[in-house]
Amino acid sequence: MENVLSILFCLSLLYLALTSRVKHCVNVLQAQGIILAVINTLPLFHHFTLGEIILPAALLGIKGVLIPFYIRKIITDLDIKDPIEPTIQQFTFIMLVITLMSAVFVASGILAKSTEINIIPFASGFSAIITGILVIIFRKKLLVHVMGFLAMENGIFLFGSAIAFKLPVIIELGMLLDIFVVVFLMGIALNKISTTLSGFEAAQLRRLKD
Amino acid sequence: MALMNIFEGLASLFFVLLFAPLFAGLVNKQKAMMTGRVGAPVWQPYYDLFKLFRKETIRAKSASFISGLSPAINFAAVIIAASMLPVCNAHPLISFKGDIILFAYILGTARFFQILAAMDIGSSFEGMGASREASFAIFVEPIFFFTLGSIAFITGFTSISDIYRSIAMDRMSYTVFIVVCSISFFILAVTECSRMPVDDPNTHLELTMIHEVMILDNSGQDLFFYQYSGNIKLLIYIVLETAFYYPLGAGLTAVGVTIFALNILFVSFVLAGVETVTSRFKLKDMPHYLLFAAAIGILNLLIFTFNK
Repeated sequence: MENVLSILFCLSLLYLALTSRVKHCVNVLQAQGIILAVINTLPLFHHFTLGEIILPAALLGIKGVLIPFYIRKIITDLDIKDPIEPTIQQFTFIMLVITLMSAVFVASGILAKSTEINIIPFASGFSAIITGILVIIFRKKLLVHVMGFLAMENGIFLFGSAIAFKLPVIIELGMLLDIFVVVFLMGIALNKISTTLSGFEAAQLRRLKD
Repeated sequence: MALMNIFEGLASLFFVLLFAPLFAGLVNKQKAMMTGRVGAPVWQPYYDLFKLFRKETIRAKSASFISGLSPAINFAAVIIAASMLPVCNAHPLISFKGDIILFAYILGTARFFQILAAMDIGSSFEGMGASREASFAIFVEPIFFFTLGSIAFITGFTSISDIYRSIAMDRMSYTVFIVVCSISFFILAVTECSRMPVDDPNTHLELTMIHEVMILDNSGQDLFFYQYSGNIKLLIYIVLETAFYYPLGAGLTAVGVTIFALNILFVSFVLAGVETVTSRFKLKDMPHYLLFAAAIGILNLLIFTFNK
């Protein structure tokens, strides 16, 4: 079941690489958050403890509801236009993502021979980290950079569930809170930038001086 | 037994030839109803084909023998492809190891001759359509091979009917392969048959057309062959799409045929729905759309390779 959800996660990554609309990116992130919450709920079916339900619930709340809601609010408040404005051609971008994804799968296959990992979730998480980095590098809009960062964080979470040893719940919760604060701060920063500059492109920030 | 197999094969081929225009009519009717129109009757494609068949064929003065040859080759190629189909899991007329390659390239031959005929006439419009068709073909073939190829890998067979016969949705991860493959196969069908997000079959504006522009100068029986083979091609892809969800063991029984018919109806509904809610993509956006489908196939292959 975890593999199935990881495959869905990979598909959502491909869609994130393909889409040229900011709103679709938010939808993808929301879907990824829900998938992650479900993946983290799965172990509870074998062994239920009340303490461990906090993490999936927090994931669903923060990644599935709160962050997408907040990003949508920023989009409407600041009137951010829908195209994502890539710096390279979308075609090249998807080719890059596919190539790196294949490389990650091959690497995970090699890694699995020496360590105890679940290949599919591991490779999906790894691919998400790489896709996130690529989104940050090859998109102009600042808000899309935040989304690339969030995709990366989602990847790290999936990564965590693929390795054999488990992190304490409190650390994972701390990570979640961290992400939320980052997104929150980014929103405030964007708001501040909007009072000084008209656009939200990283290219324009070069003009800023102290 | 061999005689029975031949009979089954002939019956499936006959089914495809007979019902191909009906399927196109069904999709158009549902599309019309979804957009609040009454629409042409379901039988309209039959009337159109009949009308075209009776009309006189007029060819351009600049056209060479290729223009006369191409419609017939197109039609023959599509019929050969149709005779490899596993309709209702019946034994197809043509089936041997590795026939997925023949299937892909016999349709490739049809496309090649259509492109050649379009350029043969010497109109710049048709040349443009031919160039578009050729450039899409480059992206379409990887989709076919990655998708059906990955299933061939998983099942260990290389013949279309064997592949579809051995699809068993018993394991959860297997079901995901099938669902994912059927998504990319749907995109393939839409592209190959020049349906909505890729090409609009209803427009006759030269700048938005891909498939339609190539047959702009054809008339009469030539156009009949092109239209009819277009309809058959659509049904071929739809049968391949529905065969993913055909339960094993249902076979050629009354239940099996009912399930098959329901499957086809459902896909026609989905196709009409997709055509209603989507608009045609920009030409420059098409490669990523097709690459996405190919990426799904690659992902399937990767997951299968490393999930053993």
